[in-house]
Amino acid sequence: MTMLKIDNLHAEIDGKPILKGLTLEVNAGEIHAIMGPNGAGKSTLGYVLGGRPGYEVTAGSVTFNGEDLLDKEPHERAAAGVFLGFQYPVEIPGVSNVQFLRESLNAQRAVRGEKPLSGAEFLKVARAQADALGLQQDMLKRPVNVGFSGGEKKRNEMVQMGIIDPIFAILDETDSGLDIDALRVVGDGINRIMRRPDKAVLLITHYQRLLDYVRPDRVHVLADGRITRSGGPELAQQLEREGYAEVAA
Amino acid sequence: MSVLDLPSNREEAWRWADLGGIAAAAALAPVARPDAQFLDLPGAKLLFVDGELDEGASELHRVTVGAIASSDHPLGRRAARGWTLRLDAQAIADPVQVVHVATRAENHLGAAIELGDDAVAQLVESFVGAGWSNRFTSVRLGRGARLSRAVRLTQAAGFVSLRDEIVLGEAASFVGTVLAAGDQGARVDAALTLAGEGGYAEFGGALLTRDRLQQECAVRVRHAEPNGQSHQLWRAVAADQSQASLAAAVEVARHAQKTDGEQSLRGLLLHRTATVNLKPELEIFADDVKCAHGATVGELDARALFYMESRGIPAARAKALLTHAFVADALDRIADETVRAAFAADAAAWLERTL
Amino acid sequence: MATKNAEAHAAVAKKYEWGFATDIEQDFAPKGLSEDTVRYISAKKNEPEWMLDWRLKAFRLWQTMQAPDWAKLNVPPIDYQDAYYYAEPKQKKTIASLDELDPEIRRTYEKLGIPIREQEVLAGVEGARKVAVDAVFDSVSVATTFREELKAAGVIFLSISEAIREYPDLVRKWLGKVVPQRDNYFATLNSAVFSDGTFVYVPEGVRCPMELSTYFRINAENTGQFERTLIVADKGAYVSYLEGCTAPMRDENQLHAAVVELVALDDAEIKYSTVQNWYPGDENGVGGIYNFVTKRALCQGRNSKVSWTQVETGSAITWKYPSCVLAGENSVGEFYSVAVTNNRQQADTGTKMIHLGKGSRSTIVSKGISAGRSDNTYRGLVRVAPTAEGVRNFTQCDSLLLSDQCGAHTVPYIEVRNPSAQIEHEATTSKISEDQLFYAMSRGLDAEAAVALIVNGFAREVLQQLPMEFAVEAQKLLGISLEGSVG
Repeated sequence: MTMLKIDNLHAEIDGKPILKGLTLEVNAGEIHAIMGPNGAGKSTLGYVLGGRPGYEVTAGSVTFNGEDLLDKEPHERAAAGVFLGFQYPVEIPGVSNVQFLRESLNAQRAVRGEKPLSGAEFLKVARAQADALGLQQDMLKRPVNVGFSGGEKKRNEMVQMGIIDPIFAILDETDSGLDIDALRVVGDGINRIMRRPDKAVLLITHYQRLLDYVRPDRVHVLADGRITRSGGPELAQQLEREGYAEVAA
Repeated sequence: MSVLDLPSNREEAWRWADLGGIAAAAALAPVARPDAQFLDLPGAKLLFVDGELDEGASELHRVTVGAIASSDHPLGRRAARGWTLRLDAQAIADPVQVVHVATRAENHLGAAIELGDDAVAQLVESFVGAGWSNRFTSVRLGRGARLSRAVRLTQAAGFVSLRDEIVLGEAASFVGTVLAAGDQGARVDAALTLAGEGGYAEFGGALLTRDRLQQECAVRVRHAEPNGQSHQLWRAVAADQSQASLAAAVEVARHAQKTDGEQSLRGLLLHRTATVNLKPELEIFADDVKCAHGATVGELDARALFYMESRGIPAARAKALLTHAFVADALDRIADETVRAAFAADAAAWLERTL
Repeated sequence: MATKNAEAHAAVAKKYEWGFATDIEQDFAPKGLSEDTVRYISAKKNEPEWMLDWRLKAFRLWQTMQAPDWAKLNVPPIDYQDAYYYAEPKQKKTIASLDELDPEIRRTYEKLGIPIREQEVLAGVEGARKVAVDAVFDSVSVATTFREELKAAGVIFLSISEAIREYPDLVRKWLGKVVPQRDNYFATLNSAVFSDGTFVYVPEGVRCPMELSTYFRINAENTGQFERTLIVADKGAYVSYLEGCTAPMRDENQLHAAVVELVALDDAEIKYSTVQNWYPGDENGVGGIYNFVTKRALCQGRNSKVSWTQVETGSAITWKYPSCVLAGENSVGEFYSVAVTNNRQQADTGTKMIHLGKGSRSTIVSKGISAGRSDNTYRGLVRVAPTAEGVRNFTQCDSLLLSDQCGAHTVPYIEVRNPSAQIEHEATTSKISEDQLFYAMSRGLDAEAAVALIVNGFAREVLQQLPMEFAVEAQKLLGISLEGSVG
């Protein structure tokens, strides 16, 4: 069953076209990797799907489980089950991780007509996820991403994903800034949380190394705002060996 | 205009002004004319004695002397005559040195500096003697024009009041430094307007006060257009029963987005009878700006003093070294080495006398 | 139980006896503030002669004074000779039912989760007094229970009118000692015509067994526009006092000129928390309260401590500087403030820390949040006297701007006359970044919830100073105050 359907998507920033006719389908139960050289439009794709202001869609459509995704506000997309993992997670001084996530989760639950989690219920979930991803418990009480190292921020994104438990995750360069151990932990996290028949993932990455831990079902090459090649996991290895210039051409 | 025709301390902008000090300076008896020394720099040299040009001792170059447009500022408006420097676009002038000698009562003098687009000029002014020296300086900088100005107050007695009205065009740059290291009271009153986009203004300096003197700066930088930068770095050192006050304000107009305004005001009290007042003020009407200020008052770091003494440096010397380091920040902004060295020497001499 | 009810009824009856709403209308010429007005107020309250003299002295002084002209506050002229400003200070315009209430206020009540009957009291619904008696009946009993417990501890917690009659010596000793009659225009006016307020005395060595709150009193007794509060903590005493409530008070009185005086003797501590949410006017700046309050603490004793915490979201114009005179050796003053302005509101608030005592310390944390077309000013003074050896002050002033039509201003004065002082002042100005907003929204929060969350983070250092249950409501309130401020 098709979960995400992107059809001929054109998008621009400040009048400059970045995505130029991107078409992609992701089915439930699948993990897709989007690879490509710097400046190809990888992050833009993530932001357009997440609804970041300033990224203007000029043509094409995106549906999520049959509904128009582009029509929704960012928080409505989140409530619909879409999670965007940020390449550069944002710092919010004075707001603790716990408070941030509990409010986020309960806002989503309210839209879905579910009852809010109490503080205790929430803490239980949060602690379990933090443990699973090797994030110190006290990081949950600290302000969101403030004073976190690059690696801690990325783990924190995964903890958030575990708590929110989305049905579709777009993970933008989640592997950058991680050492090899952290990479394994994060990879395991993605598999644990997202590899299920009713879920799907779009992994946006420049390098193949995360794919050693999270084996994609499909790999796409994004160059100059379009998907120029698609294939199985072997395509990622070919890219690593031969470089984008060769493969994408 | 009577000397008593001055604003009141009840007015916000004159809260810390030493109005009695001005009146007292204007009543000073005549003194012998002190030696006037120019620094070893090329360019124009202007010697004013009690506000009158001493033609024999001056070299005007591009400078003219005559009537100037006046100000409506309570002090600035008293100057109706003065000297003018006008530079055409692209012109680069040799430095202009001005020495102001006061020998009695009060004297008032204006100056008008107008730089065309991309013109460059440097100005050094010194005040010596005794009396009330009142100056009004108007500066207009064209697109990309650059002016640096260094002023030192080393009168033996009396009062120096400066009123500067400085307007910067697009991408223009102004760097102003004031050192008060004499035995006169002082008010450094300035309004800077960044009237074009991308302007850059630095205005700062050091006020060193002792005895019963009062010195203050009252500087207002107004960002009227976007992308401007301003830095105000002031140091105040107060000894004996003196009072040093630093009031520096940054104002950001409604659409002056991406403004970066910075203030650093620090005061050092050398004796328990001295006073330091600080007022780092922000007035912000635009939402995308970076304005931060820091202000501190305190005494010298006792641990550092002890550390130096334990290495054999006498207490007074250790104090002087630390105080000098405290002041040096503000003088480092002077780009010309000759000028900076002269100013540093004045500061050092003041410390020598005081500590 | 019967006794308790009887007491409660008596208290309620008493309240009407003092309430001069209808009486005044009948007895009094409607226009003109005169000595007769002052005499009338004093007589109505059965005040002793010295109190009347005190009021008259203030009134004569007030007549010679001029209203302050504050540059950054745009204050429309107030007609003090309009009887409505003083002769009916307790009168709220009544409405027949909540349906007639401004829907904005109604919505806020609902968001805060205030029960309907309490809403009616707050809104001044006709007949709600009776409801109030019933509804607040429990509160009255509760208040009575409190009174018993406080009495056992020796704590005096009364309306100031009662205290003037019952504890004249105590009141006379301290009234006007911290805020002198001639202090400022509004304080002088208050001294002449103050209607009622609160008196607290905590005896030596007593830790007040509960948080004291005016909440019941304001609802039930409607203390009105010229409140007078006097709190004295004797040696080693401790008291935490909560003022105000988080619901917007609908009030036809435009001018509020309260005076609050705190006195802390040796080793005493007073914690004074305020949530101010008077009606701010509508989005065009029509209506709304002018809140001109004089609040000052005298830390007279060694090691005494006063901590002011305020969350200011209401009023069309706010003008207040809760201050500390740190006279005692090693005394401590603290000021934690969040001021939110939206629409056309103007707030000019801050503190004065006057260091007279050796080793006295002060901390100032001010968080200003400006939205809409509002103006938010921090104005503060830190003064160190020559004799005050070893003073420490730390000041942090942060401004957050939520629109490009508002203003944020910081006007700190620092006056230091002792070299051993260590004074530090820092200020920052920022806005909510689009990255922060998008990040929070991508996790499921709508724009308003995201702004509220970020603003609460910004104000956190201050909010965490509030007593727990107050803090939660204050957080909600920040969100409500900023509604509609983000496009």
